[in-house]
Amino acid sequence: MITLTNLSKIFRTELIETHALRDVNLQINEGEFAALTGPSGSGKSTLLNILGTLESFDSGDYLLDGKSVKGLSDAALSQLRNEKIGFIFQSFNLIKDFSIYDNIELPLRYRGLKAAERKQRIEQALELVGLHARRDYLPAQLSGGQQQRVAIARAIAGRPRILLADEPTGNLDSLMARQVMELLEQINQQGCTILMVTHDPDQARRAGRNIQIIDGQLHDSTMYEPLATQSA
Amino acid sequence: MSLSLLLKVMLNRKVVTILLLVQLAITLALLLNSVLLAQQTHQQLNRPTGLELEETVLVQLKPTTPQLRTYPLLEDLLQRQLRALRNIPGVVASAYSNQPMLTQGGNNNNLYDVDNEERSNIPGVPTYFVSPDFFKVLNVDVLQGELPQHSGFLDSETQPGVVLTESLAEQLFQGQSSIVGRQLNLGPVSAVISDFYGQRMHGADEVMYNSMQVAPPYSVDWGYTLLLRTEPGQTTAVREQLTSVLQQVEPNIEIYYIRSLAEQQHQLYRNEYGLAALLTILTALMLLVTMVSSYSSAHFHVLKRHQEIGVKRALGASKRLIFIELLSESWVCTLVGAVLGIGCALILNQALAQVISLPPLNWWLPLITSAILLFSVTLATWYPAAIATRVSPATATKAL
Amino acid sequence: MEQFIYYLKVSLLSIKRAPLPYALTVFILSVGLGVFFANATFYYQLNSDPLPGKSDKLFFPMTLIAPYQCNDCRPPRALSYSNVQKLAASDIPSAQAAMYSSAGYARLTIDQPPTPARVRVTQRDFFQMFEVPLLHGSVWADDNAHNQVILSRSMALKLFGRTGVVGESLVLDDRNFSVIGVLDEWQMLPRLYDANGRNHLSPTEDIFLPLETGYDLNYLSNSYSQTYDDTDYRQLATEGRSGALHQLQYWVQLDTAAQQHDYQQYMQSLAEDEKAAGRHPAPINNQLVPMNEIVDYFGDDPGDIKAFALVTLLFLVVCLFNASHLALNRYLSNQYEFSLRRALGANRSQLQLQMLADVLLMTVFSLLGALLIGYAGVSLMNALLPQNSLFSTWDLTLITALILAALVCSYLVTLYPSLRASFGSLNQQLKE
Ligand SMILES: Nc1ncnc2c1ncn2[C@@H]1O[C@H](COP(=O)(O)OP(=O)(O)OP(=O)(O)O)[C@@H](O)[C@H]1O
Ligand SMILES: [Mg+2]
Repeated sequence: MITLTNLSKIFRTELIETHALRDVNLQINEGEFAALTGPSGSGKSTLLNILGTLESFDSGDYLLDGKSVKGLSDAALSQLRNEKIGFIFQSFNLIKDFSIYDNIELPLRYRGLKAAERKQRIEQALELVGLHARRDYLPAQLSGGQQQRVAIARAIAGRPRILLADEPTGNLDSLMARQVMELLEQINQQGCTILMVTHDPDQARRAGRNIQIIDGQLHDSTMYEPLATQSA
Repeated sequence: MSLSLLLKVMLNRKVVTILLLVQLAITLALLLNSVLLAQQTHQQLNRPTGLELEETVLVQLKPTTPQLRTYPLLEDLLQRQLRALRNIPGVVASAYSNQPMLTQGGNNNNLYDVDNEERSNIPGVPTYFVSPDFFKVLNVDVLQGELPQHSGFLDSETQPGVVLTESLAEQLFQGQSSIVGRQLNLGPVSAVISDFYGQRMHGADEVMYNSMQVAPPYSVDWGYTLLLRTEPGQTTAVREQLTSVLQQVEPNIEIYYIRSLAEQQHQLYRNEYGLAALLTILTALMLLVTMVSSYSSAHFHVLKRHQEIGVKRALGASKRLIFIELLSESWVCTLVGAVLGIGCALILNQALAQVISLPPLNWWLPLITSAILLFSVTLATWYPAAIATRVSPATATKAL
Repeated sequence: MEQFIYYLKVSLLSIKRAPLPYALTVFILSVGLGVFFANATFYYQLNSDPLPGKSDKLFFPMTLIAPYQCNDCRPPRALSYSNVQKLAASDIPSAQAAMYSSAGYARLTIDQPPTPARVRVTQRDFFQMFEVPLLHGSVWADDNAHNQVILSRSMALKLFGRTGVVGESLVLDDRNFSVIGVLDEWQMLPRLYDANGRNHLSPTEDIFLPLETGYDLNYLSNSYSQTYDDTDYRQLATEGRSGALHQLQYWVQLDTAAQQHDYQQYMQSLAEDEKAAGRHPAPINNQLVPMNEIVDYFGDDPGDIKAFALVTLLFLVVCLFNASHLALNRYLSNQYEFSLRRALGANRSQLQLQMLADVLLMTVFSLLGALLIGYAGVSLMNALLPQNSLFSTWDLTLITALILAALVCSYLVTLYPSLRASFGSLNQQLKE
């Protein structure tokens, strides 16, 4: 469902040019759970952002469901993000003035869903992450693990086809991290494609596929999961 | 973004919101009342006076020697001056009067029907002692009786006839039909003319009670007035000559001022005009301050919430949506402030009415002023909102 | 001290880092203070006591001794000549003077062009009662008619070009007078002795003439004057002295409560006697109004300044809100710095000292701005409401008050945000 061909990204500042990604070719299929690993500064987040259309790229092409995202207007990109892609961030990024419920509702509102539909989806998402009782709390009143679960609920409430997670457990202790991982696996089993950046080899191992990136270049490997699909 | 969510956010930022609301409310209250005052002044200036404001010129003057201020020399002076004025090309008519019209207070008298003093007595009726052409200068309509053609004498045995304005005659005789010849304390009624605005009384309503007698004034120790009406368009040319013509007739005079009646009227409402102007300036400042505050609040909001805006963008909010969301936050605030403001305006209106005369609020002014407020706030929020749309959605992934 | 200079430097640095919000804060505070100050100037001057310590000892008596049938009415605003004579028969007051205002034309010789002059026709106690400073010469020896005038300093300069003109003669409305005194610079603000005719906001008179002379020469009153019978108001010398021509202001000085009480008694018995004699048809209603209440009594306070005072006060409040809002924003964006400082071990009092430095700087800037805007505001108000222009001067009290106001406002504007930034949010910040 995702195809990157010869994709490059260069960050230009006044002083230097950083080649964050060089000629990346990548194919991700429906239903995969892929882990993205690599040293710090290697371009993991950059890749994830480009996949999520949060950032533009300099050359190459990016096909999502067979359609190029190049040249789409801001409104079209926003709609695409809203409908097909879910995000989970390392620092949760909940909106702190909004209650848990309101946070989850936000992308659904952007999509223009009816109130009843929104309510039903939010309940479902909250049920899944097990925070139904805390729906009226403010983010600051929750623990980190709980906040991240809310973020996951927000990401999946819109029933995205693909979930992008940038070090979702980076700020959590191991127990919390395990809970989050289990949740992601559960979501993956329901058919959602997941691409996750992680530094944790254990987590990487649990993913179906491992993509390694070093200095902006891709080293795809499947060493931990022989059953995973091989791709170019 | 839904209204309830906006309100929730505002409630969360209590202090900032309250500050903004209080300020918006007070601004609106001030804006409303100064518009009201300006409107009132405008109305006062446009109220019918029964006078030809542009074509009538008055000269307020006083002889500088005691001899010239006493009869018979005074009589001679008045006649010489009138003759000279009549000879100025463009002058239609000229007359003297003991006092000008459209003044704050002045020479007045109580007036009553001698047959019915108790009921008819009216205190403080402006009393004019004039030359026969006075009525020609003012261009008033004669409604009853005949205007006196010759000057009488106030000190003589027979009192000169009294000319009344319509509303004064109405008040004195309460609708009786033939009033010409009726005896008043000042003399017999000789004519009734159309109304004109003479004196503005302290604290009284605007009434057009005036009585005139065709006779030289008792005394000119407070100066007297020369009035003239010019042909349309000739006023400026005539005015330019007045000083030199009058000086030529008699150098021993002090000319206090030369004004058209329009200027005289402006002078009469000078205070209201000044206050309205001051309030308008103050309101402009106030709007400026409100704009600065809306700007800074929105700008700061954007700076502070880069991350949040980034997250919203990542979740699928388009640039347009972010822009509208920020503007609508200002709008909701302004509207709430406006509602509070109308309340404040009512209170301020009542407080102001204790010290100055001010009409009560009407229903459409609050709408207009709220719109002005909304417009200013929108203008001020525009730039920060535009900045907000430039926040990259990638911001969301950057850690704090 | 050195430490404090360091704090000032830190304040300046943080201003430099974000000059726009700071400039806006100062601007708003200056506008608020300036506008308020401009109006406060008029309000303060108009309501100031021109004779502190004495204004409660000078009284303005009024009676209804007039052929005037009415119920429930206030006495006329002025007294007739005969009223004054009856009141002056009492020796209870320490000083007393009847007076009115008139106008004339002065010149040195008959062939010179005339100079218009405001004339106060009055009696000798006037100068002592209202503490009028005399530069040269003396006041009249008694209250009889004299062909002697006292000139204001500016009138002496205008006519003679110098002030030492005692003994010189001048022509006032074609009659010769000799100058027996010249006043020093004198401007009683507000000129409360003239309040009954609503003239207390105008400048002082140029020439002072004895009351009897004014009556003898038929100097007509040019402010309040009312007849209650058929007296010819032009014949002051004759009918004006006996008839019910009310135009005289009359002031008495009653230093003690006992004197005041006695005088009230005196007025009461006078009114009763007059009533018995049929010269007081209305119910007795004597008034003895102290000078510091005279404007209120006549209800002639100019409402516009009061109205404007209310409005500018509101404006100041708004500006304060606004400025503190701006300052809050500024501080919140500097919050990181604050937290850092606290982490580096700055204690409460050190942070407070820092705040004090901030307040001082803010005061200085906003004071400068306020003075500028205040000056512009006063000029504008002089142009738009010219009748109050005499009351637009700044004195030490006013300036001090402004400095204090600027200090308080700066403090208020700085206090809340910095408290919030320095104490409130550490916890919250870690949570975010
Ligand atoms: N907005 C930007 N401007 C300039 N350079 C950038 C920007 N974002 C990222 N970079 C550079 O691009 C390179 C890749 O950054 P990226 O954030 O993708 O690394 P990463 O693999 O996510 O690292 P980490 O594991 O530490 O999160 C780095 O060298 C970084 O400095
Ligand atoms: Mg990263």
